[in-house]
Amino acid sequence: MSIITIALPSKGRMKEDASAIFERAGLPIVAVGNERSYRGKVEGHDDIEIAFLSASEIAREIGAGTVDFGVTGEDLIREGLIDADRKMEIAARLGFGHADVVVAVPEIWLDVETMADLGDVAADFRSRHGRRLQIATKYWRLTQQHFSAQHGIQLYRIVESLGATEGAPAAGQADIIVDITSTGSTLKANHLKILSDGVILKSEACLVRARKAEHETDARVKKIVDAVRSVL
Amino acid sequence: MPLINMPEFSGRLLDEFAARGTARIDTPVIQPAAPFLDMAGEDLRRRIFLTESETGESLCLRPEFTIPVCLRHIESATGTPRRYGYLGEVFRQRREGDNEFYQAGIEDLGETNVASADARAVNDAVQILESLIPGRKLTVTLGDQAVFEAVVKALGLPGGWQKRLIQSFGNNAHLRQLLMTLASPQTPSGLSPQLTDLLSQDDAALIAHIDRTMQETGYSTNASRSPAEIAARLKEKQSLAETRLDGSALVLLTEFLSLELPLSQAPAALAGFADAAGLALGAAIVTFEARAAALADLGVDLDKVTYRAAFGRPLDYYTGLVFEVSRDNAVLAGGGRFDRLMTLLGANEDIPAVGFSLWLDRIEQARAR
Repeated sequence: MSIITIALPSKGRMKEDASAIFERAGLPIVAVGNERSYRGKVEGHDDIEIAFLSASEIAREIGAGTVDFGVTGEDLIREGLIDADRKMEIAARLGFGHADVVVAVPEIWLDVETMADLGDVAADFRSRHGRRLQIATKYWRLTQQHFSAQHGIQLYRIVESLGATEGAPAAGQADIIVDITSTGSTLKANHLKILSDGVILKSEACLVRARKAEHETDARVKKIVDAVRSVL
Repeated sequence: MPLINMPEFSGRLLDEFAARGTARIDTPVIQPAAPFLDMAGEDLRRRIFLTESETGESLCLRPEFTIPVCLRHIESATGTPRRYGYLGEVFRQRREGDNEFYQAGIEDLGETNVASADARAVNDAVQILESLIPGRKLTVTLGDQAVFEAVVKALGLPGGWQKRLIQSFGNNAHLRQLLMTLASPQTPSGLSPQLTDLLSQDDAALIAHIDRTMQETGYSTNASRSPAEIAARLKEKQSLAETRLDGSALVLLTEFLSLELPLSQAPAALAGFADAAGLALGAAIVTFEARAAALADLGVDLDKVTYRAAFGRPLDYYTGLVFEVSRDNAVLAGGGRFDRLMTLLGANEDIPAVGFSLWLDRIEQARAR
C-alpha cells in the first residue's frame, strides 16, 4: 500500500499545536531517530509518514502534490499557490495560528479610511510625488488580488519586504503596508491603522489536502480528515 | 534571435511599414522592469518574466514594444515627428498560447494633427491586416477616452467622483460597481468628533496639527504624503460626503456608456446626446468628428467601424482614441493614443503619440484558416 505523507511545521508554536491536534485525533506523532529529525511517523500507522518542513515550503509541496496533507497557514497557501483552490482543499480549520492579512496606512492619513480613499490617493500619487504609491509587503499575490481584482486599483508599486514590514512607512521605504497581524499591537506601536475594508484574509492554521485523483478511492484519506475534524 | 521561427509574412510586413514612411527600430530583449510596472501597474508583474541583474536591478524580458520604443526615442533625442516601425519577439506569461511570440507595429510620435494621426493609425492597421488576411471579415471597434472624460466633467459630478470614474474607464466591472455606489444614497462617512473638531479649524491649524503629529510619531513630513496634502484631501472628502448626487446624472452616464453604433452615425449621435442632456462636450467632440472625417478621407468605410462608448483601457496614460481590429473574436491588432506616456517616461516636453501593435501569432492562425 502506498504511503500517505503529512507535512507539518518543523518548529515553534505551530509544530506543537499541530502535534497536539494529531495526538488528540488518535494519530500520535513520533520523530524518527532523534528529537530534531525532519522525518516522523504516526504510531501504529506504518503507512503514514510525517515530513517536518518550514511553513511556506508546505504550501509549495502541497501545490506540487509531493505531499498528501499539510498543516500551514491559509495566508501562505493563498500567497504561495496560483489557483490555490484547484490544487488544494482546506480539509479543516484548526483554530490556532490566527492572523489577518491587512492593508494598513499611517494613522495620520486622516482622510484615508477605506480602499476607495486609498484608490483616490494612489491615482494622484504620481503627479504629486513623481513616483507611484509604494506598498511594502511579502504578500505580493494577495496584495494584487485585493487591490487590482477587488478594488480596481492598479497604480501602485510593491516593495518586497521580508521582515519588520510594519516599520517601512516610518522608515521611508514605503508609504503603506500589507502585512499579517494577530492582535494589531505591532501596527499600533508603529502608528499604523487598518482600513475598514482592508482585511484581505482572515487566516489560521489549516489541515490542507492536495487534490489528487488517487485520494478519491483511498479510505485512509477520509479517515485522517474525519479523525482531525472530530477533535476540533 | 531565432530568425527561423519568424512568421513567413514578416518580410511583407516590414515592406508595408517602410512604404508607410516609418523608420525600423529595434530594442533590447532585456529591459529594465521598472518602467513597465510603473506604467501598467503591479498587475503586470505576474504576466512578465522578471529577473535581476547581478547588481540587483530588476530586469524583464520585453513584454511589449511601446515603452521600449518611446524610451529609445527619448534617449536618442532625434526630434519629432517620427514614425517607428518594429517587429520582434515579446515575452509574457500566458495561460493560453505561447509565452514568446512576435509582435509588430507602428508608433507615431510627435504628430500634432491628432485627428489625422489617429486616422492614419487605424487605417494602417486595417489595411495591413486586409492585405495579410485577404477576403476575411474584420471587425473594427473604436472608443475614445477623451469623450468619456468630457461627459463625466460636463455632468458636474464632484471632483473626487470624476477622478474615480475616469480612472476606471475601460474596466467595466469596476465602473459598474462605482455607478451602483453612486446610485445608492451617499452616507457621509462618520467623521470622529475629534476630526470634526480639527476640520472646524482653519487650514493652517489643521496642517500644523498633522505636521506636529507626524513629527511626534516619527514620520517624515516630506518622504510620503505631506501634511498639506492630507489636510487638503480631508477637506475635499468632507465636501464630497456633503454632496448629494442627483439621479439624472447617473441615468445620463449609463445611457452614454450603452452607446454602440456604426462610426458613420456616431458623431451625430454624440451631438444629439450632448444636446438632449444639455452637456457641453466641446473639444472632445470636435476631435472625434475630425477623426471620423479623416478616416473617411482615407477610404475607411465608417459603416463597418463600430464606436462603443464604454470601450477604453484602464491605464492612465491613454488619452483619446483606443481601437481594436479582430476576426472571430480574436484581437489581431490593438492601438490607441497615449499622449501622457512620453512625459511619464521622462521626456522634457509633451509629445503626442499614437500607435498600434499586431499580434503575429494570431494573424498566422487566421491566415491558416
